[in-house]
Amino acid sequence: MADHDDVTAVRIRTLENIVGRGQSWPRMAQKYGVANPVPPWKSSLDGICDALDHEGVTLPLLTRRSDEDRLVHEVYVTLPYPENQLVALTHSLVARNVIDEDTLARRMREVRARLEGA
Amino acid sequence: MTHDETANTPHHAPERHAAPMVEEVTDFEVLEIALRELAIEKGLFTAEDHRHYTEFVEQIGPAPGSRLVAKAWVDPDFKQLVLRDAIAASREVGIDWLHPTGFGTPSDFTALEVLENTPTLHHVIVCTLCSCYPRPLLGNSPEWYRTPNYRRRIVRWPRQVLGEFGLFLPDDVEIRVEDSNSKRRFLVLPVRPAGTDGWTEDQLAEIVTRDCMIGVALPKPGVTTNAPRPTHPAVRPAGAY
Repeated sequence: MADHDDVTAVRIRTLENIVGRGQSWPRMAQKYGVANPVPPWKSSLDGICDALDHEGVTLPLLTRRSDEDRLVHEVYVTLPYPENQLVALTHSLVARNVIDEDTLARRMREVRARLEGA
Repeated sequence: MTHDETANTPHHAPERHAAPMVEEVTDFEVLEIALRELAIEKGLFTAEDHRHYTEFVEQIGPAPGSRLVAKAWVDPDFKQLVLRDAIAASREVGIDWLHPTGFGTPSDFTALEVLENTPTLHHVIVCTLCSCYPRPLLGNSPEWYRTPNYRRRIVRWPRQVLGEFGLFLPDDVEIRVEDSNSKRRFLVLPVRPAGTDGWTEDQLAEIVTRDCMIGVALPKPGVTTNAPRPTHPAVRPAGAY
């Protein structure tokens, strides 16, 4: 897929399922009475974006941001920021065949088991 | 009795507690970790790179920018340096613009220009392509700065968009919009407001908020934070979605 190709046509069920479960930060923060304005993983997501931009090869900055603009406004319209940034970045990497969706889904199950077992 | 009731009972001073946590593993937390691990395993970046950048974004904020502006207001020689060589001036407020992370930059911070406002000229900055922003001096950009709504409209209808931020400039004030990119970043040097004669640099720095240095607000005595923009309930709310 070329840098300028539209990734919005690619459906990614793993991400659609996440959106459907609705665990975005405003809702979770309210549920648990937490006042932090952004989720605790926000700075780590920023670190991922900066690290990708620094390399600039796999997903060039302008491609990443252009994909994010499209995906946020056309596909993940119900997600707040920064959930929409995280999901859009993942969508870009899967749609552009950098990350395999099955591998991602499997890793997510492993990570969840690890966190819940701690 | 619940904790809240205890805290509010007369004669009982509120106790300090650590901030509560969300005691549930969320999908987004899991996704962020999974994505990061796979990216590292694929060699897109290293875990150490990621830690460095995360540390960088966690420690930046608008304080160096506020200091730079306040110092320029009280020291004419420093103001000339700010306008002539903003990168050198940044070093005076503790920012190594060319190497802000101390080990390399996520993008090319090759040029920095400070835009001086006058009573008849107002600057405002944007990045029409993505979200380029003077992060070493101002911290992370606000969410609205990243939106196409701001990026597309500020260059076409700057006076109207500034009005949406509550900044209504007289018609005889020219507005210039500067478009940032990966090679060129900008910071606005506002006009020192009336009512600040005799103020110290520290006092002045307190009123130079982030939005003043983006150009969507003007410094005012007594205003020391970027107040959250008000939100209102929808007049005709959408149904379930």
